[in-house]
Amino acid sequence: MKTAIYGIGNILLGDDGVGPAVARYLSLNTSLGPDVTIEDLGTPSLDLPNYMTEYDLIIFVDAVAAADATPGTVRLYSREEIVAAPTGIHISPHEPTINDALIVLDFAGTAPKDVLLVGVVPQTLEGGMTLSPSVAGAVPRAAGTVLAELGKRSYAS
Amino acid sequence: MPTATAKRITIDPITRIEGHLRIDVEVDQGKVNKAWASSTMFRGIERILLGRDPREAWLFTQRFCGVCTTVHALASVRAVEDALDLPIPINAQYIRNLILIAHAMHDHIVHFYHLSALDWVDVTQVLKADPVKASSIAESLSDWRNNSAKEMAAVKARVKGLVDSGQLGPFAHGYWGHPAMKLPPEVNLIAVAHYLQALEYQRYANQVVAMLGGKTPHIQNVAVGGVANAINLESEAALNLDRLYQMKSLLDKVVSFVQNVYVPDVCAVAGFYPDWFNYGAGVTNYLSVPDLPLDERSTKFDLPGGFIPNGDLSKFHPITGQKDAYWRKAVTEDSEHAWYKGGGPLHPWKGETDPEYTDWKEDGKYSWVKAPRFEGQPAQVGPLANVLAGYASGNPLMVKWTDAALSKISAIAKIKATPAMLHSTLGRHGARAVRTAVLSELAVKHWQLLTDNITKGDTTIFNQPSFPKGQIEGVGFHEAPRGTLSHWVVIDNGAIKNYQAVVPTTWNASPRDSKGTSGPYEASLIGNPIADPQHPLEVLRTVHSFDPCMACAVHMFDPTGQNVAKVKVL
Repeated sequence: MKTAIYGIGNILLGDDGVGPAVARYLSLNTSLGPDVTIEDLGTPSLDLPNYMTEYDLIIFVDAVAAADATPGTVRLYSREEIVAAPTGIHISPHEPTINDALIVLDFAGTAPKDVLLVGVVPQTLEGGMTLSPSVAGAVPRAAGTVLAELGKRSYAS
Repeated sequence: MPTATAKRITIDPITRIEGHLRIDVEVDQGKVNKAWASSTMFRGIERILLGRDPREAWLFTQRFCGVCTTVHALASVRAVEDALDLPIPINAQYIRNLILIAHAMHDHIVHFYHLSALDWVDVTQVLKADPVKASSIAESLSDWRNNSAKEMAAVKARVKGLVDSGQLGPFAHGYWGHPAMKLPPEVNLIAVAHYLQALEYQRYANQVVAMLGGKTPHIQNVAVGGVANAINLESEAALNLDRLYQMKSLLDKVVSFVQNVYVPDVCAVAGFYPDWFNYGAGVTNYLSVPDLPLDERSTKFDLPGGFIPNGDLSKFHPITGQKDAYWRKAVTEDSEHAWYKGGGPLHPWKGETDPEYTDWKEDGKYSWVKAPRFEGQPAQVGPLANVLAGYASGNPLMVKWTDAALSKISAIAKIKATPAMLHSTLGRHGARAVRTAVLSELAVKHWQLLTDNITKGDTTIFNQPSFPKGQIEGVGFHEAPRGTLSHWVVIDNGAIKNYQAVVPTTWNASPRDSKGTSGPYEASLIGNPIADPQHPLEVLRTVHSFDPCMACAVHMFDPTGQNVAKVKVL
């Protein structure tokens, strides 16, 4: 089963870099074998579908907006929840997000079946290359959530 | 003066935490009479570079924007090389050029099919289309082989499946049934068929970038002084003939799609919407810079650039290169109406990025984007500026493809399409297709130049940079998919002292300046018809035609959908 773990976010904008930080953490601390790709994809927006068609399972790690949760909270979202998130009119190519990419690929008939999102609630998205302490502390937990999901699908770290 | 019926429309994509582009228009008697373009997010990320090693700046700048990673990498190394007066081995120029061309073809295709075509294409009309008739129309436009009736029927069935499911998937937010939608059902079907094919073909271009860049979206092969692609015809790990020919076969597929699908499709859409040659001109001062250097010192280029004042091609003033004093002196940024301290105008080497937020004030400060000016005037950048520079300077490829597109549009619309009509919303789409066609020919040319040079035995890829004591300044420019990009760097004792990126969307999304002169988006919206203020499709048509890209995107997934574009009518 070909698997991709993608960190999404801008490493120059504070806690938006949490997805790439989790990808880096997993690259340094695990060896998941040749069938698992771990990549910091930055903010590919409209280009995201290009990285999604060759995998059976994709786990995204991204900052998520959640008004009811404290910074550093880690949440797992199913494919159904991702696709159900509202999309809107897009003015610039930056706006399309993971749900848009899945919807486009579902229409094209080339979407991966198994998709998950591990979300981390950010504290600040202001310019800077460090994570705030609560979000930095969430990086190993988010990585653990990724590994637990791989484990359920018979991957061992 | 606005009448009592004047309405204010705001299209504001983002609410709570961050934002990109907000457009406000005032509509009176069915037409836009005032417009404001505003970026709602502070972008002071150049400050991250202060004090860093200039050789590493490109690693950070390619993170400015997740869609335009390569362009910021290349502009950055060019700026440092310019400061050092460092020549680049010719192999490195060709490799960089191929990356730029492949990226631009990919980007232009995606822009048309996946971001803006749906402003013109009504997907719900596809259900009324006759696949056999659609196939024969498509085959009359080009000899692309994937236009069969069977292909069209399969796409129609796919759309029917989507509609029957009660959801419109990627098309859920189109303004379906809007009175401004005019394509016949069969042309809508062709467009959706090509939307799907474009998903596949743009990926081949992206694969070329990955082959040369090591990976995408963040390429790894660039260096101040050249590239890091080892060339060795005897080694499997290096750039060798096998890889070059793999790349060629990918490029050939993209070239064919561009010439046989993208260009005819844009001409067809334009042919059915000739009214849109009358709207959206806005600022007709055009700026582009030369690109695709052909020598180690970057003095000769395959793409021309320069400044055109007031849409007058006879007044075209070429820019000869990064060293051209005319170019180096002309660029300033003004922050009278932007949320920064001071008003300016300041030259980018003296540029300041000290925020001063005041809330959105229609007559005061209202955007995080500064107002770039060329010789004190606003300028439109992008493929149209680039194509007009090519047309004005008699560049053979630009003239050939522009004339071909105009004659195709003339035949479909039964009008006489002229170069003067390019100053418009549709002109920007047409010019983007023309530029992509030109780039498709140059892709093959630069692949051949690289292959010939390598087989001749030249494997040089890098000249070692060395940094002098004291202060030096440099500018790196690139004619990026969205237009003129320039990075301005001041280096002091080998460390970055100032860094300013003047990005294409800053030129186009510019707010008013200290003289009150509007930027290109704002000016282009004036006079646009608005059939239904609740569904301002016409505003999207004109703004999308520029291919907006607010640099330094924050990406955040929002399960609640609060950060989704909203249209507010007051």
